[in-house]
Amino acid sequence: MSDAPGSGSNPLLDGLRIEPTPDPTTLVIFGASGDLTRRKLLPALYQLSRGQRLPARFSVIGVARSEMNDDEFRRQFHDSLKEFAGVEKADEVSGTLVRGLSYLFGEMDDPALYARLARTLQESHAPDGVLFYLAIPPTVYGKVVEQLGAAGLTRPSTPTGWRRVIVEKPFGTDLDSARALNAVLHQHLEESQIFRIDHYLGKETVQNLLVFRFANGMFEPVWNRRYIDHVQITAAETVGVERRAAYYEQAGALRDMVQNHLMQLLSLIAMEPPITFSAENVRDRKLDALLSIQPLLEDGAKTNVIRAQYSPGWVNGSEVPGYREEQGVSATSVTETYVALRAQLDSWRWAGVPFYIRTGKRLAKRTTEIAIQFRRPPLHIFKRVSPTPIASNLLVVNVQPDEGISVRFEAKLPGSRMQLAPVMMNFRYGSAFGSAVPEAYETLLLDAMLGDPTLFARHDFVEASWALITPVHEAWRTSGPAAIPMYEAGEWSPREADAMMAADGRRWRTL
Amino acid sequence: MSTQLPHQLLPGAKEVPFAEIEGTLSRLVQDGRRRSRAPARSLTATVVVVGEPARLVSAADALAQLGEAGGVRTILISQGDQPSPTALVTEHSIAIAGLAPRYIDNAVASLRLSSLPALVWWRGGSIEALDDVAGLADRLVLDTESPDETWARAQTFLEETAVTDLRWARLTRWRALLAHLFDLPRVREAVASFNRLSIDAADVPAARLFAGWLQTSLRWPSSNQISIRRVSADGKSPLERVQLEGDRLTITLHVPSTRTCLHASVGGEDGMARVVPLGDGALTALIGEELGIRTRDLAFERALGAARELSVS
Ligand SMILES: NC(=O)c1ccc[n+]([C@@H]2O[C@H](COP(=O)([O-])OP(=O)(O)OC[C@H]3O[C@@H](n4cnc5c(N)ncnc54)[C@H](OP(=O)(O)O)[C@@H]3O)[C@@H](O)[C@H]2O)c1
Repeated sequence: MSDAPGSGSNPLLDGLRIEPTPDPTTLVIFGASGDLTRRKLLPALYQLSRGQRLPARFSVIGVARSEMNDDEFRRQFHDSLKEFAGVEKADEVSGTLVRGLSYLFGEMDDPALYARLARTLQESHAPDGVLFYLAIPPTVYGKVVEQLGAAGLTRPSTPTGWRRVIVEKPFGTDLDSARALNAVLHQHLEESQIFRIDHYLGKETVQNLLVFRFANGMFEPVWNRRYIDHVQITAAETVGVERRAAYYEQAGALRDMVQNHLMQLLSLIAMEPPITFSAENVRDRKLDALLSIQPLLEDGAKTNVIRAQYSPGWVNGSEVPGYREEQGVSATSVTETYVALRAQLDSWRWAGVPFYIRTGKRLAKRTTEIAIQFRRPPLHIFKRVSPTPIASNLLVVNVQPDEGISVRFEAKLPGSRMQLAPVMMNFRYGSAFGSAVPEAYETLLLDAMLGDPTLFARHDFVEASWALITPVHEAWRTSGPAAIPMYEAGEWSPREADAMMAADGRRWRTL
Repeated sequence: MSTQLPHQLLPGAKEVPFAEIEGTLSRLVQDGRRRSRAPARSLTATVVVVGEPARLVSAADALAQLGEAGGVRTILISQGDQPSPTALVTEHSIAIAGLAPRYIDNAVASLRLSSLPALVWWRGGSIEALDDVAGLADRLVLDTESPDETWARAQTFLEETAVTDLRWARLTRWRALLAHLFDLPRVREAVASFNRLSIDAADVPAARLFAGWLQTSLRWPSSNQISIRRVSADGKSPLERVQLEGDRLTITLHVPSTRTCLHASVGGEDGMARVVPLGDGALTALIGEELGIRTRDLAFERALGAARELSVS
């Protein structure tokens, strides 16, 4: 009898160096004529294909309202590669991908569109693994999922098939709307089918945070209130609102950055060790951390959360207008372009250790980092010989632009005198491993195709985060237009944010 | 064997006695940092290359590029009869010419970065030294033109050292493409019926490894037919054409005339065709890939065993 492998598993995958590839997949992009598709999704698909990370059977169906035929959509694909992936001329990889591209147009609430989509999926003998990507305005997410459900498209038609939905940010605008959206999604989909994107989680350093904390024995023992004085999380941008004024006017920095990205970073720093590296364990522990944050308004919004808006100034050597002078922004806008907040975690590990978060547009420098400041040694035994106060140890996780980790410690200055000086030890992804760091959207698209939700936000996390943020918005809404402080574009922070730190006897890090 | 290292091996290097290598290295690192004012780099591994001087040049070139992008210390060694020859030293590299095989392990032991993995890239030389350096290596990458002798020796220490052949890295794209096709239902249904394999290859040992891999993965009996034909090509790919046949289906993989990609077809159907880039076959990319792997590769070890048994007419 032959002992040849049967038709069950793929006998050639064993030991293959190429990382796992998803099962045959059809990607259906709602919003295929939009900016996100052109700027991020199509280039990510191209890069995944170059790296042989896409399955042998892979096709893309673009859906939007704009009238386009398949060829026009394919041309858009090439244009997008040219503009955003530096692919000047079509090559074999883009040539193969483009053959699997097709386009459907119609109104998102029209059942006929979904009937055509179902027919296309059936007639093209497309794989029964279907990933729907909602790259559309948030107001339409619910509509599309309802229509997908009504058309029977949220259930696979074969036992080996699967259906998943990627939902873009923002997920809701407050707690009620997030709950309502979750309710619509859960009417038609299991939670395991829903992938709420937060592209910060696709960044290499953010994933490395878990490795750094839980694959090294030396950091976890000091990762608590006994050794850590406080944590500062900064996400600073030099750009203004650019073309997103309409969205930003409604959102503001608290919704745009804090509720999602920065709460994710905070939870990764604060979480307890999961018992395994499984999506549910990791997300459970992150949720615990988030739930331990005390209400931000407990001591009065004024001291725990500071908002501000940029006025005209100079950034990177160029003169820039104030927020209220930007195109599409109201001249009396009170939308915050800067937020600084102090979060206190009510947990055994973190009691008494403040987590400070600041984010803003038109700041002096573009950088996102997490700085963990350790307590000073209990006794300064070098006081007499080296009178300058010693700097606290610092561990800095650089999220962008230069992904890596740095540690600051005190060292003796060379020479016969006992003089101390702080030194920084750096690890940089770019120079240590020499290989290119994948774009966040590549990682996340691939994970969704593989069905791994670890790097996606779960419904309860999103709601818990909104539960923290929403009361702050409410308080701002009722406090009137005069209440928003200003900072000059190109500066680091408004006075009020410095005062919040000063009240705790601390300062923002200079970056 | 020549004991002179070619001049272009490490441009701008300092020539120093063996005993002064370590001191010179740290001085150069400090000077370099002072000049560039760059922060200290994180170091990740030592790469030791052993081979004829001429083959060290291309390796040095590849590693120089890798060194610029990654935190690697490079040690290049050509064999000779001296116990303690002079060395060329730059900030991240050391080249030693004409070192007697029995001292190679001592040299490596004293110059490798402590506490970090060492990869030995074996590009030829006295086989006696291979056992010794394999004992110091976390990973041994074989890369000789006629591999039979090293393959035979390597098989004796697979349990102690993670071994691979650089040809195996060159075959990654070919293996991955074929593996992807095995996800297609039509192919999956035909798996048990495949019984003939023919390969046209510029690099016959690579073809033997590929055949050995298929043979062991598909658990073929020895009666199945494997033929390998040597063809001349431009060196962009180790293989030119692979045909896997059975009574129900034929799969063909080949490098088309554009020479930049790999083309696959199943049963001649256009709808089942697939094109993937040939991948970066440059030494820098290949050795960079090897540096990212730390574990034993059982698929390679099985393929190696089968490849050694294959004779090519
Ligand atoms: N662009 C980015 O870099 C980025 C970053 C983070 C998150 N996002 C999120 O990704 C989603 C898409 O963003 P985008 O920048 O690509 O927006 P966009 O350029 O405005 O495109 C949105 C897409 O949805 C369609 N659309 C617009 N209004 C619609 C409506 N009322 N009903 C149905 N379809 C409509 C548009 O095409 P038609 O008019 O042809 O239908 C287009 O294909 C948004 O949720 C956004 O918040 C985008």
